[in-house]
Amino acid sequence: MAYLTPGDPKSRGKWVMILVAGLCVAFSIRLVDYQVIQADAINKTSYENRAVTRTLPALRGEILDSTGAVLARTVYRYDINAAPSKVFPVSRKVNGQSVMIPVEQIANEIATILGLTQADVMTKISGTGEYSQIKKRVDAESYRKIRSLNVPWLYYDPIPDRLYPNGAVAGNIIGYLNNEGQAVEGIETSFNSCLAGVDGQESFEKGVDGIKIPSSTVTTQKAVNGRAVHLTINADLQYFAQQVLTSEVSRLRADWAVATVIEVKTGRILAAAEAPSVDPNEPGKVGIDDRGARIFRFMFEPGSTLKAITGATAIDQGKATSTTRTIAPFGWVVPGTTYRVTDSHQHGDDKLTLAGVLRDSSNTGIMKIGQAVDYRTRYTYLKKFGLGQKTNAGYPGEEAGLLNNVNDWDGIKKYVSMFGQGVSVTPIQSAMMYQAIANKGIRLSPILVEGCEDANGNLQRTEVKPGVRVISEATAHSTMDMLEKVVEQGGIGKTAAVPGYRVGGKTGTAQIAKGSSGYSGRYAVSFIGAAPAEDPQFVVAVTVYKPRTVSNSIGATPSFKRIMQQLLRTYRVPPSTTVSANIPTEWK
Amino acid sequence: MSTLRLTQNNRHASPARPALSIANFRDSRPGVFIGGAVVVGALTIALLNLLLTILTSNAVYELSAIQKEKKELTTTTQILSEEVDSLSSQQNLANAAAKLGMISNANPVFLRLSDQKVFGKPKAALNADGRVARNLVPNSALVQQSNAAELIAAEDATLTKASTPIATGLTGATTSQTALAAGVVKAVSATTPVVSSGAAIPASPTH
Repeated sequence: MAYLTPGDPKSRGKWVMILVAGLCVAFSIRLVDYQVIQADAINKTSYENRAVTRTLPALRGEILDSTGAVLARTVYRYDINAAPSKVFPVSRKVNGQSVMIPVEQIANEIATILGLTQADVMTKISGTGEYSQIKKRVDAESYRKIRSLNVPWLYYDPIPDRLYPNGAVAGNIIGYLNNEGQAVEGIETSFNSCLAGVDGQESFEKGVDGIKIPSSTVTTQKAVNGRAVHLTINADLQYFAQQVLTSEVSRLRADWAVATVIEVKTGRILAAAEAPSVDPNEPGKVGIDDRGARIFRFMFEPGSTLKAITGATAIDQGKATSTTRTIAPFGWVVPGTTYRVTDSHQHGDDKLTLAGVLRDSSNTGIMKIGQAVDYRTRYTYLKKFGLGQKTNAGYPGEEAGLLNNVNDWDGIKKYVSMFGQGVSVTPIQSAMMYQAIANKGIRLSPILVEGCEDANGNLQRTEVKPGVRVISEATAHSTMDMLEKVVEQGGIGKTAAVPGYRVGGKTGTAQIAKGSSGYSGRYAVSFIGAAPAEDPQFVVAVTVYKPRTVSNSIGATPSFKRIMQQLLRTYRVPPSTTVSANIPTEWK
Repeated sequence: MSTLRLTQNNRHASPARPALSIANFRDSRPGVFIGGAVVVGALTIALLNLLLTILTSNAVYELSAIQKEKKELTTTTQILSEEVDSLSSQQNLANAAAKLGMISNANPVFLRLSDQKVFGKPKAALNADGRVARNLVPNSALVQQSNAAELIAAEDATLTKASTPIATGLTGATTSQTALAAGVVKAVSATTPVVSSGAAIPASPTH
């Protein structure tokens, strides 16, 4: 053995041990350096290389109509992006052989799918950058087609987007979101707390291949989706009403028109139609005034539709009946002033009953009968009918109308307020005044939103204020009888008649106030009515603003008739089997 | 060699010592057994860990594939939902109805079954108001529209299909009154029954 291992074996072993010990010490020092001294920094750098934090987007809740039809939903759109620095020909299998497809051809394929030109795409994918957006918010079908091209230098960002499948149907009510996804109008705004979800966040570590490392996911916050809002609107009826109004606005060359449909016994708003109306998919296509709901925001003097309220007040106070007689001259000077009020058409001294006054819509007649009631009492009734107060139906930015304090009423206002001047209302307030008459004297709160679903999908109904008795049941009945005479015998009222049904309603031709004093030369023409009169189910209120071809309610009755007809048919209300009350409208 | 020398030395140094036995040998080296067990255990744990890691990694790839498939299916659902939304929108239905020549009748007529009274005056639907006959309400989400030619072809196909049993029934009727009666009964029973609820007017089975 000795001759094979030169030198001193003991000495050699010692040196080997020293060397090993030295290496161990060196490694230990390095180990301590990595594991203790630099540990935090190394861990941090390593985690940053592997870790990915991403937002888990919460889906916004749907908006549904009364039948469950979807009026608004959230879908994903996709931003199509490229990394120009990595653009190169793409390999594809053609007939089992690998073929390199040139960039120009790929650009052409992308352009065809996205509706761009090849030159557009080439411009966007040229350069040395790492990011270039080819097209924003592409729909899912195009996104899938683009992905099927298998282009490695394209990448995609899914973006939640709001879709309104029925376009402008109820667009004025639903509202819309801005480009940042924030609600800016309509129900989208007022019920944002129900509709909006809460975005979540998750962190995970990924390997070189981009796949998550097992057990590395840490969900720091779970996404909570938004909940659905149910409206009382019937989308089919709303569409029909919008069709009718759009047609009439065009025919009459009017600025706009609105129609409100109320279910008498519940106060539910079945249609809140406007023309023009916004398509929430593209709100920028209409002017800012057409993007909201005038039904809740536009204030105007109601004009003659308020005469029914004056008549009901006089009856309820026991100062008149539907057959109370008066002589209605063409012109009449307001007592205590020199202000002369005239009717809309020339006539002599007409001998009319209160029903006749409403039928002919006589300003002088209603003042002469209405003056029997103290103006402070009439003011109280106007308030009870809902004037000067928001309905709080759930639409944002609702106006309250204008009903000045009774102490500020001057001598003229005490009288002209009887036929709808000196006060202003919103279209929804007008409709609810007639809802009270049609509902046996009880005014309900209008309901636009049925409720919001809870986390389990159960509908949490909107709190509804109890109804308010405005007039007695007998007064309401008597007033409906008078309103029927307007439709049966009135010159314009007749054009609102629906064959087969008893209809009661009132015309209104309101002058449009010009600034703080005086009136412009144009009108807001209205017709508000209920049917069937023997047991009213629906109130329809139509207002056409500034029609150019007519200057009275003949501009509103055709829309009223068509919408009421459709309504009675939609809800299968059988035609009337009784006739109207025999009330005289004139006397000799 | 060393072992032998050591054994011999031990023999000389302690002759009175009792003979070695297997039990004593074990008692003298308890660490070897424990060490072996630890090594085997550690190796087993390492192998199991390796196996679990391989299995978990495979599951992760499988999970990733399933998640990708889920994403694809979600995209498909969205595409189909948008298509259905578009086709069922009021605007598309109005356009399709107009293309098929359908006109809304403004004169509804109701029949009260209890006394067979007719309410309303039946009139033919006339295209008296062209302005409302076409869609006037904008919808930029209307990406998919019904094809009029396809609708008409589908309607024709339905009519052809429906007319076949009627023709058969009539042929039978010419040969025998019994056969006619049977055909009529069969035809009546095939339709949706209209149920009267007293004085209330029943809803139409069509929509």
